[in-house]
Amino acid sequence: MDRDDQRPPGRVEADGAAMTVVVEARDVRFSFGNTPALRGATLAVEAGEILAVMGPSGSGKSTLLHCLAGILVPDSGEIRFGEARLDAMSETARSALRRRRFGFVFQFGQLVPELTAAENVALPLLLGGVRRAEALRRAHGWFGRLGLAGKEERRSGELSGGEAQRVALARALVARPEVLFADEPTGALDSLTGEQVMDLLVTAAREQGTTVVLVTHEPRVAAYADREVIVRDGRVNAPERIPS
Amino acid sequence: MIRLGLRLAVAGGREALVRLVAIAAAVAVGAGILLATLAGVNATNAQLTRYASLHPVATTGGDADPLWWSTRRDYFHGRQILRVDVAATGPDSPTPIGVPRTPGPGEYYASPALRSLLDAYPADQLADRYAGRDVGTVGPAALPSPDFLLVIVGGRPAEVAALPDARQLTDVAASGPALPDTVVDLILGVVAGGLLFPVLIFIGTATRLGAARREQRFAAMRLVGATPRQISAIAAIEATAAAAVGTALGFALFLAGRGALADIPFTGMPYFPADLSLRPLDALVVALGVPAGAALAAHVSLRRVQISPLGVTRRVTPRPPRGYRLIPLALGLAGLAFAVGRRPNTADGQTAVYLPTLLLVMTGLVVAGPWLTMVGARLMAARARRPGTLIAARRLADNPRAGFRAISGIMLALFVTSTATGVITTIVAERGPAPIGSVEAATLTTVLGEETTSVPGPLLAELRAIPGVRSTTVTRKLENPHYYASVVRCADIPPAYGRCAGGATVAEVPVDFIPFRSSASADRVWTPASVRVEDLAGLPVESIVVGTDGSAAARERARTVLEAAYPTFWVAPNVPGNFEADFANLLRGWRQLADVVIVVSLVLAGCSLAVAVVGGLQERKRPFSLLRLGGAPVGVLRRVVALETAVPMLAVAALATGMGLLAAHLFLKGQMHYALTPPGPSFYALVVAGLAACLGIIAATLPLLERVTGPETARSE
Repeated sequence: MDRDDQRPPGRVEADGAAMTVVVEARDVRFSFGNTPALRGATLAVEAGEILAVMGPSGSGKSTLLHCLAGILVPDSGEIRFGEARLDAMSETARSALRRRRFGFVFQFGQLVPELTAAENVALPLLLGGVRRAEALRRAHGWFGRLGLAGKEERRSGELSGGEAQRVALARALVARPEVLFADEPTGALDSLTGEQVMDLLVTAAREQGTTVVLVTHEPRVAAYADREVIVRDGRVNAPERIPS
Repeated sequence: MIRLGLRLAVAGGREALVRLVAIAAAVAVGAGILLATLAGVNATNAQLTRYASLHPVATTGGDADPLWWSTRRDYFHGRQILRVDVAATGPDSPTPIGVPRTPGPGEYYASPALRSLLDAYPADQLADRYAGRDVGTVGPAALPSPDFLLVIVGGRPAEVAALPDARQLTDVAASGPALPDTVVDLILGVVAGGLLFPVLIFIGTATRLGAARREQRFAAMRLVGATPRQISAIAAIEATAAAAVGTALGFALFLAGRGALADIPFTGMPYFPADLSLRPLDALVVALGVPAGAALAAHVSLRRVQISPLGVTRRVTPRPPRGYRLIPLALGLAGLAFAVGRRPNTADGQTAVYLPTLLLVMTGLVVAGPWLTMVGARLMAARARRPGTLIAARRLADNPRAGFRAISGIMLALFVTSTATGVITTIVAERGPAPIGSVEAATLTTVLGEETTSVPGPLLAELRAIPGVRSTTVTRKLENPHYYASVVRCADIPPAYGRCAGGATVAEVPVDFIPFRSSASADRVWTPASVRVEDLAGLPVESIVVGTDGSAAARERARTVLEAAYPTFWVAPNVPGNFEADFANLLRGWRQLADVVIVVSLVLAGCSLAVAVVGGLQERKRPFSLLRLGGAPVGVLRRVVALETAVPMLAVAALATGMGLLAAHLFLKGQMHYALTPPGPSFYALVVAGLAACLGIIAATLPLLERVTGPETARSE
């Protein structure tokens, strides 16, 4: 599938060059009670790539993302982040890993309503022990880039859906994570606003060299990715590389 | 609509049922305490009414032969015995309440508690005070309390008529009001402020349990065409149904615990269980008022949110409270300060000054609370370094009214109880019984009511023969046109009570050698009197002072001897503080009540806060769960919850206690010219224990935090 016309300018890789795998799932199985969600999913995400995970509702794509991010521990199989086995780590260790090296963007409702937009963006830095003044200074730096200048002191209830999602994006990237997990990041937005958010996401990720795992069911959103995989009935189909 | 509301409340699935049960349980606890409070007020009123009936007013008229009646106070081991002497003047004389017939000369009835003492102690310590035949037991109809010490002694009309304050009665039921209305209002105000307010806050908060989920359901109903009015009605029906069940359980809880409650001497003496009852109006007010209040709370809570067919939206940032909220508090404190040195002369005048100013301070605290919360939260937010502190401070600063609501009960309860405890501690310290082991506690004095210039020699010999009696001294009354004094021969002053100045032979002394509100002292030098020693024998006897070794046996034996020698005493021979022993007991009872109010209100506030925590978590479970997914440690969220609740609670507790003690000081200064005696460590320990219990209840909600912010929340919400 050639998506050159839909993708923003990005990373150009040498065809056939060996890439470093950052996150990997090997034969992962996971069930919610008696309902299997993943039935032997295998997937490798390479450093710096933007990977779209697609599939119909209930196919297991969000579960796969949660397993890759160390949120859920698979019933069997392996999840690797570099050389580390996430599935063998304690909850505390996985939390610390998520806090320090991953970023997350979800569909909606991720901003803490009491905090201002700037404080929401600064939150991961504060959690990481950065001094408040420095955290806020770095947070403020994102607002111009996101087209949100002047809205730093607004609360989440005072932002539109697109603005709130851009703030969430800044929050996910402010600590310069190695991997950004995005679960339907435009699912609650209209198509125009969704495109704006995806433009920003892809641009910012590429600037920082952040790997992105993007779960979506929208082909328009998946088109921003370097590669897409389809999850169906808990299994990942053969990876399909999108030509640059 | 009612059927639909009921069906949603009862058959709305497991979650709806759990919510219903939780609300009902919370309302049951609240209603139970409410009923106990009302019954306690009734029981206290019954107690005081019976106490008043032992001091009847003289009545005349009618065909009945009058009954001679005299009420006097006697003491035993620091407790007060009420002695009623009666004499029928004819066959139609009314019979005293609580006994089958009027005792005749040489007969007496004793209350069960007094009977126990008569059986337990040697006759020369107590029983010899009541010469004659014990003809029965005084029934509960005459007794303020099961522990009350009462003796009804029969006499001849001429004898009783000669007793101090004797009066004739044709109707024994006629007595003055137990308490002036203003005092009843004051007590009710204190109880209401201290206990009822936290109970009502708790009940109101409990009905908000699970509100967020309920509001989502209401939004879905709006989508299919329900009007806001119908939604409001359904919410009211749900809340009312749960509150009605809770109220019924509250009645059961009250009835089950009534016996145990009656044994607690809140007023210095226990209640009869039957006194701890509800008037029909009380029962009706609670039975109807609590469910109605719950319906109102449900209605008000829905006003805080806009339920549209597309979902629930909250007002983002309510208007911040303004500084003018401090005005009532400032006015109240200014009023109390103004009253210092300007005490009105009449009781009504004093009530008119102090009651409104104290109520103004209480109201002022509640009105100022949200503003103070906001200022405190803003300061906390400005200085916050950790994300948990920042989130908690921002939430409090955003909606300080909501943050303060759950702790307003603590503020009132601690203010009221700190004021009461400060006043009581000071009065007990200033006017309570003499300390055990002191010379004062070992000094028994009788002031003679009858005019005589001599004390029988055998009486003094009999007193001196009692083991433990160290001295007996007779003082005389010196009455000049310009002043009155007790005088005594210097050589007769026992060394423990001081001495005369060099060369003096007669000194002016208090009737018991102990100046008012002072201690006895061997170093005291008494003022010489302008009386010659040889003239002393011609002066009337003022008092007989018996110094003892402080043992109760010596004191009670001497008291019994003196009462037998001077049976027409008005106030029995006493040691300093005996007069106020009952008053001090009453005050100690009130302090116990204050202690109960502290613990109960703090526990209730803990429950209210726990409910508020649960509500706050429900509102924020998605952002919180997504923060956790992003790696935020659950400890950060715990810190948010703890800071949102514990910081304002502890700040309010410190503020309310400080303001309470300040109000007590101003009241004591203005009314009694006393400086505040700070409460002992036990008071602070109790407050700390109550706060710890409160924090424990809040901590119990923390496991819920982990559960509601788990990954499944992010998936399913």
